[in-house]
Amino acid sequence: MVELKNVSFRYGNEETQVDNENCLRDVSLSVKTGEFVLLTGPSGCGKTTILRLINGLIPQFYPGEVIGDILIDGEETKDKELYDTALKVGTVFQNPRTQFYNVDTTGELAFGCENRGLSEKEIYTRIDKTVAHFHMEKLMDRSIFHLSDGEKQKIACASVDVSDPDIILLDEPSANLDYDATLLLREMIVQWKAAGKTIIAAEHRIAYLWDIIDRAVIMRDGRIVRELVGSEKDGLTPDELYSMGLRTTMTESPSDIQKDTFRKEDTPITLKKFRFSYRGKKQPIVNIPLLQLAEGEITAIVGANGAGKTSLLNCLCGLEKHCKGKLQYKGKNYGRKARRKLCFMVMQDTGNQLFTESVLDEVLISLPKNTVHEKEKALELLQSLDLSDYTDRHPQSLSGGQKQRLAIACALASGRKILLLDEPTSGLDYAHMQETSALLQKLRDMGTTILVVTHDSELIHACCGRSISL
Amino acid sequence: MKNENKLKGRDLINIGIYGAIYFVILFAVAMLGMIPIFLPLLSVLVPIVGGIPFMLFLTKVKKPGMIFITAMIMGILMLLTGMGPWPLLTCAIAGILAELCVGSGKYKSAKKAVLSYGLFSMWIFGNYLPLFTDYEGYFAQRADYGQAYIDAVQKLMPLWMAPVLLAACFICGILGGLLGRALLKKHFEKAGLA
Amino acid sequence: MAYSSEKTQEKRRGFLDPRTKLALVLVLALFVMGGLGGDMLKPVKTGLSALPFLLLLIERQWKRFARGIVMLAVGYGLLFIMPYLPGALNYIALLCGGILTRFVVTIVMGEYLISTTSVSEFISAMERLHMPQAITIPMSVMFRLFPTIGAEWKSIRRAMGMRGIYLSGTKAGQVLEYQMVPMITSSVRIGEELSASALTRGLGAPVKRTNICRIGCRVQDGLLLFLCLAVIAIWILELCGVTLW
Repeated sequence: MVELKNVSFRYGNEETQVDNENCLRDVSLSVKTGEFVLLTGPSGCGKTTILRLINGLIPQFYPGEVIGDILIDGEETKDKELYDTALKVGTVFQNPRTQFYNVDTTGELAFGCENRGLSEKEIYTRIDKTVAHFHMEKLMDRSIFHLSDGEKQKIACASVDVSDPDIILLDEPSANLDYDATLLLREMIVQWKAAGKTIIAAEHRIAYLWDIIDRAVIMRDGRIVRELVGSEKDGLTPDELYSMGLRTTMTESPSDIQKDTFRKEDTPITLKKFRFSYRGKKQPIVNIPLLQLAEGEITAIVGANGAGKTSLLNCLCGLEKHCKGKLQYKGKNYGRKARRKLCFMVMQDTGNQLFTESVLDEVLISLPKNTVHEKEKALELLQSLDLSDYTDRHPQSLSGGQKQRLAIACALASGRKILLLDEPTSGLDYAHMQETSALLQKLRDMGTTILVVTHDSELIHACCGRSISL
Repeated sequence: MKNENKLKGRDLINIGIYGAIYFVILFAVAMLGMIPIFLPLLSVLVPIVGGIPFMLFLTKVKKPGMIFITAMIMGILMLLTGMGPWPLLTCAIAGILAELCVGSGKYKSAKKAVLSYGLFSMWIFGNYLPLFTDYEGYFAQRADYGQAYIDAVQKLMPLWMAPVLLAACFICGILGGLLGRALLKKHFEKAGLA
Repeated sequence: MAYSSEKTQEKRRGFLDPRTKLALVLVLALFVMGGLGGDMLKPVKTGLSALPFLLLLIERQWKRFARGIVMLAVGYGLLFIMPYLPGALNYIALLCGGILTRFVVTIVMGEYLISTTSVSEFISAMERLHMPQAITIPMSVMFRLFPTIGAEWKSIRRAMGMRGIYLSGTKAGQVLEYQMVPMITSSVRIGEELSASALTRGLGAPVKRTNICRIGCRVQDGLLLFLCLAVIAIWILELCGVTLW
């Protein structure tokens, strides 16, 4: 049983800046043993904060001011050491690439029990049980660096399962997963529920959980605004959902959305002989002998984790030396190096492509040399991307969505005609997804051709006119 | 009663994070050092570039022991990569000195932080120690290459190079510390990392 | 047949215990690189120098074996041609040759240790050597992060290429800044998330940590450890003035 009694929380202390996002205001919530509760709401509403209060990361890891009581089975967690709370609470985090402590999968599964000092024999037995239960023999004894995101997330869940806590917290576990991996994740959660675990999930993508939860708790600005159970939950109309800032409750595979890749009336951009394989692998990850894309359209690229979507973007941008493909744009052939000046990719880790000390500088270094009135131009661009309030901010201090917009501003400043985006809406709420979609449409209307790799069916419906399935 | 000065899990992980960044830089420079004429460059480049993550690391150091542990781990890693046990010795000494220096500034003073990094950087000298220890013995073994060899090596790696290299580590450490402070102000503080 | 983690761990066990490898690195560093001991140890050292290469062959590390041999050959080659070279080149050849012949063997041994030991094996060995958690925890974090930092580095370089920022002589300092700042920022952020996840799984609890990784001494370890002890014994005898051969 988990109880929050009149909890308020603010990150940081008096010395550091006070961050009003993600704070909690007088939240009371009680989750019964064996119950499955979904926390949802727009970004910054405080759902992740609640999970951190339960697993003790607040205040032990993320300092801040906690008012009120957080009780697990009647015991206060605030003052407990993290390793004591860990005996009862297990957490699966959002980013599959950053939650592993070990470099091999078996070690990762054993990790929680090793820290508790359980006997070797006991740990082996537990691992074998989990492996058999979740059918993951093929994932064992592998390097975590050679797993897809979906497989990593499965290992993360299994690692929690081996530790066998009573309470399992899920912090946006599906944000980086494709449709099939999301369904596998759902399967694991169903098994936990059947085993009587108490489960609390924070999610934007609520569709895959909607029919297995006992209760949905909807939050906004640090408060609980609505709780839904039973028929109330099932009877929600899309408009009601959107007004609460929620995403759809319908599951739909992105590859089931029927869109043409190319229509007769389209102006073609032609890809010829795009072929790329990783070093030491015979099977090419990208193999496109000939493909026509529509110029001036937004094309979605869909496919499972590991189907080579990101690799294709890398090849298109001219970042893979061994990919010898040619791209024909407006009747001109572009080789690898020429494509570097034609295409621009907004990467998944947008932070890695921003280098300077201010938003304005970032755009300035992208403008071609000898631009006249460069500052005015840069400011104008920032204005058109809603970034004019942030011109002096450090790029690395921006939110994910702002970083994306800044990267796009740089692409436009350097005069790129083809814009590639890698999962621009992973982990975004409904409003931010709509914003991204509106921005992409605006860019399309300005004449930019856009390719977007995505698992997000809602984004495809909202803005993509064409689609390719890899 | 809780001991506020005891290192907790998070402190140890922080040592790991910054230690890893520092070591990657060291390793990248050492790759240059595989061509032996660049070997002395180690004492210049590593302290300067390494100052960038290290100054950020020092903003996380609020308890005694973290710098010393970092130094010892560098020593162990050097041992593992086949550089011998000598770096362990210099690491221990440099680690303690750096620790005392930051401690005397109560883990807050920026000047002490830079100085402390200069002291810390002196551990790198340990990698050169085998070139100077047992100087006579080493050449006695190599006598089969002839007197010309001994003369030539003594000209290139004369004993006075030892204090020069040590000083280079320290001075470049100070420079690296200043560079690290500058980037800390220019970037990391604004980015919300420090 | 059902999966058994215990059996697989046993199957994946390395040829040597990491502690044996560590002892070998130490002995090689002291005697071959450090030059301890006199005439009596000379033949022993020649034998010791061959050891890392032999071990690389046993573990089928062909590439590393070849690289080590080439480096050693270059070293001796330089020393061989040195007398025939004029002035400055003579010195450079001499210095390079001298350093290579001296350091390569131990470095190859270190490479053998690193390339054939898994992180969990290594941490397990450290724990059995009674290293405190204050050393083992940071080191395991480091080993976990090395590949990640490498990947971030690569991704940043690519991003720089895409943004049109290239390494040119005039702007070396700025390129360093552009490279380092995002690299450190993202590594630190990844590290933070990693810590959060590790701490919620009980890392740092004040109990004796278990390690399921199988290590332990077998015949081959015994032999090599005996060899290490023998070398030290000969050295001590020599110091005491005993002549064996």
